[in-house]
Amino acid sequence: MTADIDITVTINRRTYRLNVPPNRIFADLLREDLLLTGCKIGCDQAVCGACTVLVDGLPVTACTTFAFELDGTAVTTIEGLSEEGMLHPIQRTFLEHSAFQCGFCTPGMILSVKALLEHYSDPDETTIRQWLDANICRCTGYQMIIEAVRAAAKAVAE
Amino acid sequence: MNEVGTSLFRSRVTALDGPDKVTGAARFTFDVILRGMLHAKVLRSPHPHARIVAINTSRAEALPGVVAVVTGADAIKLPDPYYGVAIRDQPVLAIDRARYIGDMIAAVAAVDEETAYRALALIDVRYDLLLPVTTIEEALADGAPLLFDAPAAGAPIKLGDGVTSLKEPRPNVLCEFGYAKGDADAVLAKSDHIFEDRFRFSRINHFHLEPYVNVARVTGEQIELWSCNQDPFVLRGDISRIFGRPANNIRINASYIGGGFGGKSFCKMEPLLVLLAMKAGRPVRLCLSLDEGLLTLTKHAGILTLKTGVTKDGRLTARRSEVQLDGGAYSDASALTVVKTGYRITGPYRWDAVATRAYAVRTNTVPAGSFRGFGGTQASFASESQIDMIARRLGIDPYDFRRKNLLAVGEPFQPGDSAVDSDLGGGLDEIVERLGYRQHRRSAAQGHKARGMGLSIGIKDGGGTANHAQALVKVLPSGRAIVNAAAVEIGQGATTALSRIAAETLKLPLDCVRYGAIDTDHTPLDNGTHASCGTAVTGTAVMRAATDACGQILEFAAEQLGCRADELQLDNWTVRRGNHAHPLEPMIVEHFGGAGFEFIGRGMVKVPNDPRAPLGAASLFWMPSWVGAEVEVDRETGKVRVLQLVVGADSGRSVNSVACRGQVEGAVLQALGQSLFEELRYQGGEPVNATPLDYRVPHAADLPDHYEAVIFEYGGPGPFGAKGIGEAGMLGVASAIANAIHDAVGVRLTEIPFTPERVLAAIEASS
Repeated sequence: MTADIDITVTINRRTYRLNVPPNRIFADLLREDLLLTGCKIGCDQAVCGACTVLVDGLPVTACTTFAFELDGTAVTTIEGLSEEGMLHPIQRTFLEHSAFQCGFCTPGMILSVKALLEHYSDPDETTIRQWLDANICRCTGYQMIIEAVRAAAKAVAE
Repeated sequence: MNEVGTSLFRSRVTALDGPDKVTGAARFTFDVILRGMLHAKVLRSPHPHARIVAINTSRAEALPGVVAVVTGADAIKLPDPYYGVAIRDQPVLAIDRARYIGDMIAAVAAVDEETAYRALALIDVRYDLLLPVTTIEEALADGAPLLFDAPAAGAPIKLGDGVTSLKEPRPNVLCEFGYAKGDADAVLAKSDHIFEDRFRFSRINHFHLEPYVNVARVTGEQIELWSCNQDPFVLRGDISRIFGRPANNIRINASYIGGGFGGKSFCKMEPLLVLLAMKAGRPVRLCLSLDEGLLTLTKHAGILTLKTGVTKDGRLTARRSEVQLDGGAYSDASALTVVKTGYRITGPYRWDAVATRAYAVRTNTVPAGSFRGFGGTQASFASESQIDMIARRLGIDPYDFRRKNLLAVGEPFQPGDSAVDSDLGGGLDEIVERLGYRQHRRSAAQGHKARGMGLSIGIKDGGGTANHAQALVKVLPSGRAIVNAAAVEIGQGATTALSRIAAETLKLPLDCVRYGAIDTDHTPLDNGTHASCGTAVTGTAVMRAATDACGQILEFAAEQLGCRADELQLDNWTVRRGNHAHPLEPMIVEHFGGAGFEFIGRGMVKVPNDPRAPLGAASLFWMPSWVGAEVEVDRETGKVRVLQLVVGADSGRSVNSVACRGQVEGAVLQALGQSLFEELRYQGGEPVNATPLDYRVPHAADLPDHYEAVIFEYGGPGPFGAKGIGEAGMLGVASAIANAIHDAVGVRLTEIPFTPERVLAAIEASS
């Protein structure tokens, strides 16, 4: 196996200089080395979206991303969304609209919604449904998630 | 709708588990890490049916990083190496035979998952291939290969007087249920019309996003598990029996569970993991992949044949049913599912006579077991499809036909059972109104697309037969409370519902109550979160525990104040006596000193056994679902688009109305997926789409254009009039869509899912 790789990655506004094996999966690095266990692994093959994190603002499945690929990027995980104990408006609307049941998909879902709202400040129903297609929720039936997204769009705009 | 709620129950609550879940702080079983923990992987059979001739693990054991390898040779040495509900035929690891593709043959514990995977590739297994039986028809054919040579351990499910319950009555048949009321054949013979129809139900997987995950640690005599299993106490019993250790040496810990839908009920791979941890002498984690989850458990596929009599004016007379469920290779919960499917096959209607035979057939496919709806989905698909077919054949509006035959509130579901407790006709009327059934049905075809509407009423008994639960409520000196009950939080909302029941009883704000951590050493016993029982059954135990605590608190205060307890009232952690309010905290601190005191209330509930009831106990409550569907069918492609789905369910009285809505919407989308596209498909003995990429579950883009859950509150036996609602949304969706397709294009789909291929073939066959 080739030598470990030095990377510099900013995770939740904090910069890490890490030496990672070339086959180190980013989700494992988050969960095992940094104890950022809000990143959940469901399917482990980029289908379910539970492991979604934001890399330079774009949703990425951490279960199929090598840690070395993130050299020089800025990553946001669910743990980095709230600031100084204040919930992000998307987290708040998910809470208010009960847009979760078991909660396993929720961190990935919320991060996808953050990216959505950065691309479309006032997304229509079709755009929301299409965007959420990347994240499976087996519990809620999506309707309350969509309601939370609409409320979050308003809250973020304010 | 019955608007009886007080201001408290009308108010919208924030789920108590919500802050953890939206911030990533929630700890699931998936997140459990123990010091020195190893990782396990399982070698699975590539053959649907084979004799295991030899297993050589020496190369795997020699791989650096491998700590332990177990095979059937280790399992056979256990005091009782088999598990299963009532009928115990599933070995901890395959002992001499592999019975389906995915059967567990050997397992490795290693320093990491990668090493464990590498070790699996070094295990040599020699198989002698046997002929598989992969469908119900093949398994029942004369001279079919047998899955088992000898009877399994266990006994048939115990039921009420006069009901048949058999274990392994015929080759490749696991169990059989028989129920009769009156003389069905005689009544059918006298009926003006008799209709016989056959329906095929498909196999789906639970696809819970948190995989099956457990961590086991064995220290001396103690066995500990951190488990995603939704039945910690049932699992404790199984581990005790399998390993021959007293149950008080076994401790099962539960965390948040990332979904289950029945998949995480009852014993599965947990004993294998304990065996591995014992051999390794270190804690071991086994996290299955989602691919393996697809090969662990499914919902029952089945063939349901209904012969139904009706008078010329549209009154149902008798029904003779034969229900065949594909139980797969091992029992799991098939024995119970067969009973429930058979019992529910008559739907929410009045009959002069009934004759039902239901059985589970063993095949060389994935074991089938609990799935939200538990046989009620299969039964209501067949029954509500046929009801619609009969109405159309007789030229009666399907709404009127249903309305004429529905059980009324107060009528027993069957003699000896409890009375229906939901207004079935009233619920249907509301759905018909919201759907616009009267205004828009049979709307004209627009080009090659045709629209139609369909109705359905699913029903199942709820709360679990003869169920029981225990609970503790501990109230601290500060007026903060902890609820200890073993209904694990799997997304159904137990945390908030049970806390709210305690808060309301103790007259405390909801945010003063916490749902305690669950482990079998400390938490009172519960049969597990099943059959939508959490609010009605465990909730009753919690309410009684809180009431007991209230009594203790008032007795204490009365003693301090020198009055009688019945002169006092609790209110927001003060006691009121007339116009005087006495804060409790200083009273408790003053009297006890030290660390203060906890008032510990105890509660329990047991639904009475009753041999006169067909299932051995009257159903605690009834769980109907009323479904209205509008579809658009493309005659050229066979594609079905669901324009409207309006689904009603009865919460009795909602303890958390938002959560009730969420339960119904979630179940409905699962049912919609199964109706239109979702299926675990087999070609012979081989599952062809058992990977997350190939196995399609509903996404947000699959939502119907209009999708509405209606929560009725007709009252129930649980705390404050609550009853269970979690499975309701599953029940009537497939039949309502089949009925709407029929309405649109005049063809009948009797097999789910209603894929474009199937719909197109039916349209072409009819024209």
